[in-house]
Amino acid sequence: MATAYFLAERGFSRVVVFERSYLGSGSTFKCAGGIRASFTSREHIVLMKRSIELWGELSKRLCIKYARSGYLWLAGREDDLEKLRKYSSIHNQFGVNTRFMEPGEVKEVAPALDTSRLLGALYDPLAGKASPFDAVHKLYLASREMGVEYRFEEVRRILVEGGAVRGVASDSGTMEAENVVVAAGVWSKQLLESLGISLPLEPEPHHAAITEEYGRLFDPLIIDLESGAYAVQTFHGHVLMGVEIPEQPCWEPGERLAFLSKVVRVWSKWLPWLPSVNILRYWVGHYEVTPDHHPVLGPVDSIENLFVATGFSGHGFMMGPVVGEELASWIASGAPRTEEAAHLTLRRFEEGKLIRELAVIG
Amino acid sequence: MAPLRSLLCFCEGVTIEDVERALEEGFRDLESLKRRLRVGMGPCQGRYCIPMLISYLSRKFGVPPERLIPPRVRPTARACSRVFVPGC
Repeated sequence: MATAYFLAERGFSRVVVFERSYLGSGSTFKCAGGIRASFTSREHIVLMKRSIELWGELSKRLCIKYARSGYLWLAGREDDLEKLRKYSSIHNQFGVNTRFMEPGEVKEVAPALDTSRLLGALYDPLAGKASPFDAVHKLYLASREMGVEYRFEEVRRILVEGGAVRGVASDSGTMEAENVVVAAGVWSKQLLESLGISLPLEPEPHHAAITEEYGRLFDPLIIDLESGAYAVQTFHGHVLMGVEIPEQPCWEPGERLAFLSKVVRVWSKWLPWLPSVNILRYWVGHYEVTPDHHPVLGPVDSIENLFVATGFSGHGFMMGPVVGEELASWIASGAPRTEEAAHLTLRRFEEGKLIRELAVIG
Repeated sequence: MAPLRSLLCFCEGVTIEDVERALEEGFRDLESLKRRLRVGMGPCQGRYCIPMLISYLSRKFGVPPERLIPPRVRPTARACSRVFVPGC
């Protein structure tokens, strides 16, 4: 959708988005809505810094619920604190000004957090959160206004002729297109498989639960470094939380009771009131995970005018704006805006040029 | 006097007028209406408002209610707390 928006902004006269279910139904509406540049690879940091600029601009222009309310990484063990020091030095080297907070300062941004076990907390003031529902719906309304057409039907095949893309075949027939962008999350793998293109993606189940709504508890998205669990208070007041549980890649994952008990247990360490709070909803979605936890972006070498944007490994929502801008640039001018985006094409897997990222959570 | 409004979702304060506005914006399926308006996302989990919304849309569009697919039910279905966390 972000790509469609930026293509329309560049003056492309006909842009069509195909959605097989309802908007956001794949992974976006299951995500926590966190947005940060505090990664540990140059590619993630550079792209996410730009994405955060775009989040600021788009949220003003389209009235999207977005706040630069920070990320707070919590360490309760010496090992974790050491890791945070390492992360922070990488962030600072790339101009992301994360800094350690005193317990008193932590209380200011997160009054409902128990700091008695806290050894150190790393704060990222540039990070924030947005409402996935609001962002997708406002982008839909704005892009439609700009002439983007939405079709709620499933693309069954990508049509290729003479080594170049010719359009798509959907339930209602075929549509010719000069360029095709496959941004179907983890299901992109199945779409491209029939063209002989192998995307190194795994559908990794990730679980999340949400409590009833409360007044202000904590502003930043908080991360327990020991378990990799995250929690965020949504704009509506709910606490949305996730933690990893042992899972195998799976296309249609189910809910697991073990997740609910683990997520409440982990977060009770920092939020001691949590066991007496009501859980309202619980769901499971996918991270579409690549071997190096970085997305696959840009043109596919073997087929002309075919582009991909997938493999975000849990960071697709936050990267949406910058990826839309980069893809639009690739399609319009044959090159991305930033050099770092060019490092993320499918070719890197063939050439063995994988990128390293240490800070994957949830 | 303020115009009368018809409340559809008691938990989130969603009215028929809000539904009409979302329909005009192009949100037609129940999954999208739920997320656009928050109808069914409050403590009742849609127990009262989703049947009312289905009934309203069914009459408005002349579609049998059984053909309108309700949003997917997410556990826990009823708000639950530490019952899930023995020893916590």
